[in-house]
Amino acid sequence: MSAAATVIQLAGIVLAPLLPGSIQSMKARLQGRHGASLLQPYRTLMRLWGKSAVDPEGTGPVYRIAPALVAACMLAAVAIVPIAGRAGALGLGDDALVLIGVLALSRFALAMAAWDTGNAFALMACARDLMIAVFGEALLVLAMLLVALPAHGTDLATMSSAAAGTQIWNGPAHWCGALAFALVILVETGRQPIDNPDTHLELTMIHEGPLLEYGGRDLALLTWAGAARHWVFIVLGAELYLPHPAGFAAGLLTLTASVAVLCCALAVAESAQAKMRILRVPALLGVGCAIAIAGAGMWIGGVGV
Amino acid sequence: MPLLAWAALAGVATLACGSILAATDRLRSGLMVQAAAMALLGVAGVAVLAGGQTIGAPFHSTVGLAFGLDPLSGLFLALLSFTAIPTLLFARDYLPGRPHAPAVGALTGVFLLSLAGVLAARDVVSFLVFWELMTLVPAAAILLAGRDREARSAVYAYIAITHLGGAGVWIALLALAHHGGIGDPAAMASAGTGAQTLVAVAALIGFGTKAGFIPLHSWLPRAHPVAPAHLSALMSGMMLKVALYGLIRVEFDWLGTTPRWLGLALLAVGLCSCLGGVLWALVQRDLKRLLAYSSIENVGIVALALGASLLFSGAGDRTWADIAFAAALLQITNHAVFKTLLFLGAGALDRATGSMDLDHLGGLLRRMPWTGGAFLVGGMAIAGLPPLNGFASEWLVLQSLVHVVIREPLGIALAGALALGGLAATAALALLCFAQMLGLTLLGVPRTQRCAQACDPPVGMRAAMAALALMCVALGLAPGLLLPTLAGLAPGAGAPVAALGAGLHVPGSGSYPTLGLALAIAALTGVLASARGKRRAAPSASWACGQPFVPALRWSSESFTKPLRLVLESILRPRRTIEVTHAGGMVQSVSYEGEVHSLLDRALYEPTVRTGLRAAALARRTQSGNVRTYAAYLLGLVMALLVLAQTGILG
Repeated sequence: MSAAATVIQLAGIVLAPLLPGSIQSMKARLQGRHGASLLQPYRTLMRLWGKSAVDPEGTGPVYRIAPALVAACMLAAVAIVPIAGRAGALGLGDDALVLIGVLALSRFALAMAAWDTGNAFALMACARDLMIAVFGEALLVLAMLLVALPAHGTDLATMSSAAAGTQIWNGPAHWCGALAFALVILVETGRQPIDNPDTHLELTMIHEGPLLEYGGRDLALLTWAGAARHWVFIVLGAELYLPHPAGFAAGLLTLTASVAVLCCALAVAESAQAKMRILRVPALLGVGCAIAIAGAGMWIGGVGV
Repeated sequence: MPLLAWAALAGVATLACGSILAATDRLRSGLMVQAAAMALLGVAGVAVLAGGQTIGAPFHSTVGLAFGLDPLSGLFLALLSFTAIPTLLFARDYLPGRPHAPAVGALTGVFLLSLAGVLAARDVVSFLVFWELMTLVPAAAILLAGRDREARSAVYAYIAITHLGGAGVWIALLALAHHGGIGDPAAMASAGTGAQTLVAVAALIGFGTKAGFIPLHSWLPRAHPVAPAHLSALMSGMMLKVALYGLIRVEFDWLGTTPRWLGLALLAVGLCSCLGGVLWALVQRDLKRLLAYSSIENVGIVALALGASLLFSGAGDRTWADIAFAAALLQITNHAVFKTLLFLGAGALDRATGSMDLDHLGGLLRRMPWTGGAFLVGGMAIAGLPPLNGFASEWLVLQSLVHVVIREPLGIALAGALALGGLAATAALALLCFAQMLGLTLLGVPRTQRCAQACDPPVGMRAAMAALALMCVALGLAPGLLLPTLAGLAPGAGAPVAALGAGLHVPGSGSYPTLGLALAIAALTGVLASARGKRRAAPSASWACGQPFVPALRWSSESFTKPLRLVLESILRPRRTIEVTHAGGMVQSVSYEGEVHSLLDRALYEPTVRTGLRAAALARRTQSGNVRTYAAYLLGLVMALLVLAQTGILG
């Protein structure tokens, strides 16, 4: 545990909207547009916070509590993700499987809200999100397994230390893990080719769908939660699946650089890729699972180490 | 005789009194006497478990009735008591007025007696007697409670499958007794691998049928939904667990050395059961059938943990064998609590709305806050969401599987990795399944008139559900307090697992701070929800592309699982028929019918039944009903025996 890591985790709560903001502005440049500034998400959040919320007819407390629960889960998730190989001191531990459970709770809260409104678009999007999550969660656990193997456990800080240095990149196992986790990032952050964050067509929405009915502060909480999801997965990807040194100060510098690289990569991927047919997504994730299992086999078999 | 034994005996006697009382038209007081009896048995069970002692007779292989309790039986007996008391309290208000209520009430007592009997039996004869009683009593109660065609065919399938599969229990136990192996692992270790394999396979099939492992599960989703709510709760909550108790006894306690293939077999069976169970659960429209299928899923998760424990103990890794075993027991405990809660909740919803069809419910959280609230807690627990109890045991099972991959050689590790991925997918499927179940029943707009007028049941039923919901929360917040005791129950347990507060902590691997996480999420949700403020714009209708939001636009169970059914078409094999009637070039009406049949029913059970019926038809040709033909058969038999005796084949 480390106080400095805790400070950066708390800063992450504020910095998280910067990630989708930077991806969007970079994407605009790549597509030859001017685009909004990096800080656009903050302006959006400020504007939404000043507006009043809307409750559709017939909705109850479940609909009203859901955004708060989603945001609370994402706050907990931000506090679980270690920074530069150091766990935070906020008392939530740093277990990979607990993190997966907390993310599942936020997904559940949103699905319940969708059922409470009865809105067909929200439910359609939730049904798709949960369907993709079936394969996404298997992929996430298997990708995590590839770093749990060298770390002998699911403690994220230990996993990050075990993945430090260049030794681990000698064998093919960690490359498989990195590939699998790249798919996880695409799924969980709702980026193309899995989902299109810029869509305004209800029929194609996945992550934006359940947000349709919400407005005002509710929407602000949910928008922040989406940004926090970027933070959790991009930081995790940088900590576990990109090369990094073992020390804290050097690790922090590498982390910053890695996060920037991953944001750029997402922007490039999104500009280069069209959205996939949704029924093709499970096959893609299935291939990811196969790669992860093959990687586990190679690690245990000692291939290339 | 020690005090505890007297308490247990008094419990049994009181239970018998309660059954008689229920049968003699004092239903309510009879059920309450049964609850008091279960409390006595529960005290005995908890005391034996906590004290780690043994009361009564030890296990023996000879003929002669013997009863006793050891800590493992104590755990299951305590579990039986903790789930049976709320169930009986529920039944007190639920049963009166239903068909043959006194007889069903009396049979409830006999059922509880037989469950406790299996747990306390210390010899083969009494074990098998109570085992068969445990199978037959619910069948009788289902037939009494509903005599329609569906109930009759369900009971027929139940008895046929559990008895065919149940032969395995007889073979396993009689073979064990033959080798003197009941309660004596050394005897089986010296009996040779042949005998060990026979016992291991027979027990896996026999107890597995009763526990609901796929592919021996087909009776479960038929029989559980047709029973009265409180019996469904006991069947899914406890009867399956008693079968797992038998499995644990034979495979872990008495087999001597455990072969590696057995651990792998349990992993395979567990993986099939948990994925298959939850997949078929989420395409059900009947709430109780959905819950029955999800029992198969949960039993599968237990099998995964048991398989991991066997693999670890085979490799001599005592610490992890104990942790995986504790994971299995914790999952058993949790499933007993939340499945009882969910079946009781389904009973209360059925009573209020008269329907178990998911597409005919809705909006019940506001109309039935007690039932709805408890149902919501149970649904979240079974979906494996933190900070409730389902997540705690799932976390421990996931940890065990991760360590199968980390610690075992390549082949087994790959099996572990497959199981790990499968369990993760199962958890996500369970989330989808129960989000749908809770959404369709509790949220949105009521779909029928009766649903709109539903109200909470009487106080006894409410209290029963509230107590079980509290148990879900408590077990979710402090599973760590139970962990050392459960790990200590593993046969041949090594150094005790250290207790480290309420949360779960696995040395050197990871920890799940239950209290911290629960407090953080609850506090943050509270703060953020209040920060949202009370300011509200005028209520508006839900967005439907500018159309008015009419009932035809509502989402149904079929629509929510549609993406998944499309993706898994090759496994689920959905069938659908769409009929469009035209009149004068205009579409007059469109009717749609869709259903998902169990793949195994078509691929495995239907051919078996067909072959069986064909064999029966052949055999029928020999049955002319003519006395002279039968006399000829007898004569022929005697002649054949004489010839055999003459030639010396009979010795």
